[in-house]
Amino acid sequence: MKKIKTPILAMALDDNISDDVFESIEEAEVNQNTKNLLTTDTNYDKRPSSTGYRDYKLSSATRKPSDPSLKILHKTILLGDSGVGKTSLLVKFDTGKFQTGNFSATVGIGFTNKIISVDDSKVKLQIWDTAGQERFRSVTHAYYRDAHALLLLYDVTNKISFDNIRAWLSEIRDYANEQVVIMLIGNKADCNPSDRMVKREDGERLAKEYSVTFMETSAKSGLNVEIAFMAVARELLFKKTGIEKKGSFNVQDYVKEQTKSNCPACSTT
Amino acid sequence: MISSEEYSENMEEAQETDISILVSDVNNIAIEESEVNKSISENKPLPSSSEQSNSYENLFDQLKGHNKHIFVLSTAGKPIYTRFGNENQLASLFGLMLALMSVTQDSNDTLQSICCGRTRIVFVNKDPIILVGVSQRSEPYDQIKKQLIYVYNNIISTLTLTQLKKIFLNRTNFDLRRLMSGSERLIDKLITFTENDPGFLLDSISCLQMPSNSRDKITQTILTECSKIKNLVFGLLIAQKHIISIVRMKKYSLQVSDIHLILNLINSTESFKTAESWTPICLPTFDSSGYMHAHISYLAEDCQACLVLLTIDHDLFFTLSEAKRKITEKMRRNDCLQAINDAIIRQPLSLARANILGLRHLLYKIKNRSQHWCPPFTLPYNTDTLQQNLMSVYCSLISQMNFPGRNLKVIYQQLTSETIVAWATDEVELYMCFEPMVSKECATNAVTKLTQWMKKEEDSLFIFNIPMF
Repeated sequence: MKKIKTPILAMALDDNISDDVFESIEEAEVNQNTKNLLTTDTNYDKRPSSTGYRDYKLSSATRKPSDPSLKILHKTILLGDSGVGKTSLLVKFDTGKFQTGNFSATVGIGFTNKIISVDDSKVKLQIWDTAGQERFRSVTHAYYRDAHALLLLYDVTNKISFDNIRAWLSEIRDYANEQVVIMLIGNKADCNPSDRMVKREDGERLAKEYSVTFMETSAKSGLNVEIAFMAVARELLFKKTGIEKKGSFNVQDYVKEQTKSNCPACSTT
Repeated sequence: MISSEEYSENMEEAQETDISILVSDVNNIAIEESEVNKSISENKPLPSSSEQSNSYENLFDQLKGHNKHIFVLSTAGKPIYTRFGNENQLASLFGLMLALMSVTQDSNDTLQSICCGRTRIVFVNKDPIILVGVSQRSEPYDQIKKQLIYVYNNIISTLTLTQLKKIFLNRTNFDLRRLMSGSERLIDKLITFTENDPGFLLDSISCLQMPSNSRDKITQTILTECSKIKNLVFGLLIAQKHIISIVRMKKYSLQVSDIHLILNLINSTESFKTAESWTPICLPTFDSSGYMHAHISYLAEDCQACLVLLTIDHDLFFTLSEAKRKITEKMRRNDCLQAINDAIIRQPLSLARANILGLRHLLYKIKNRSQHWCPPFTLPYNTDTLQQNLMSVYCSLISQMNFPGRNLKVIYQQLTSETIVAWATDEVELYMCFEPMVSKECATNAVTKLTQWMKKEEDSLFIFNIPMF
């Protein structure tokens, strides 16, 4: 690849480099995208976006729609402090089971493939479950860059895990692709009201501030677990095939709608 | 007969002091030792409550309920780990340990161990961290020291020595627990392992018993895939506490103590069962300065053997993931998965099959392969306590046999509840436990008979083929 001096173009290129590891379907697309970027498209959309990040651009505008029946591979990373329930959330989603008993910290990164049907398309989620401990940070950073979606978890019974979310978000900004879909999740929402340390509103407020999607989940009761991953899958699929197919999709609206209809209890808390 | 007292090669002569006196004096010492007091107050202000001493006493009462303790602290006196209780509440006890170390250091000496009655306290200084073991189980000094080294190695395996040194070079007051969080559990389990597992006593590994042709087929399958991958150094297939197969890169070999750390990591981490995993790990004996990267996965839902692939390349996850997929596929086609499952559920080979009169139990170690066989415990060793007692009998027997500077071939000891025999040749070490009244002659015959019997069985009990690529 040629060296390009213009900063904006270089930034766009940067983006491409991080996409290099994508699977073949996407790679083809991205390559096509590269040409477009190099020639014309350096204007970023000024509208506030669903992820709310600086310089966010609607990538689908310059992309050809993919065949929705094709499997699309997406990398999703679970992040958050140690003990907030990342592995439990994933295991619940993957197997429908909740592991009771002893907490056992994840070592390194765990890797699970899961295929989700969204309408008539199949979305293949490659889910990376990371260890929350500080010493694994450098390992997980290496995988941020390739991620399409990040589920950022805190524990509603642990104030510190919530306070650390800002640090996590700034880390994400440093390491992740700027188009990444971010979802803030307050886990363990099934807890005893007296154990709750983080109000639902606090979570909502923070999510709003960073313009990310928010929901509360419980790996124990299964509350919103499916919806969290489905919302990610939908958003990712929409980014791929979006405009031609559905016109618009707003992940936040989707989540609001889903959590309302499926769980009257939590919309009242 | 050698009594365990011979082991007190302590710098300090065995002190007459009772441990409880030492413990209750904790506060006084902390105040008298100006140097230590300074470092404590700098690190962590002591609780200023007037009930302080009272709560300490409760705390120490709780600690006294256990007969084996391991403490880890930094050379600046910061608590890092305690096996029981909470490090923060034990700040003064940690201060005392540091005080004892520095008092001897002041006179250009090194404190190695203290004996007080039945209690033995062992110190290991691995600057920038100090490890202290307290045992009331009449374990030999080397044994406790080895346990402390294992704990130290476990810390290295999570952080690397380079990183550990760097951290404390920059900030002597660093609270290492921040970086250790989540791995305390591994240390807990590792200590239990060192207390119960004959592999720790014998410096050896235990292999999953299976027909040697099945094992060869498995090894060959792993080898074929692994040899294609650049920068892959080791491959291990593990079933619970047993090794099924090992392959390695030319010129490199895995040390037993590193394998023990890997086994402990696998057996204490439930999350490996839920997902294919990728983690940095340092193997202290192999290379304490840097991380290797481990791809860890169970072969299949229907075959709970864990494949560990170790590489020096941190970008190799997907390559290894693919290799693992191929290995599993191939093994399924070759009925290897079935062979592994059969081996896992099979009743382990019982010593009764050897039909040797009076022989109750044994440990059999092949020296140059560092592998051992420990048959299942049978009557009269049917409870945990009795098994543990037998293990400590073995423990003292093994350390007598391998005492540095002595070259013993045979030990015959008649104890109150059993007669024990240690027997060493150039190839094997045998530690046997007989009925109490067995004669020397009878024991010697048993050794001959057993050696013959083992010749027939050892093919399935040990790994003789550790191929390179």
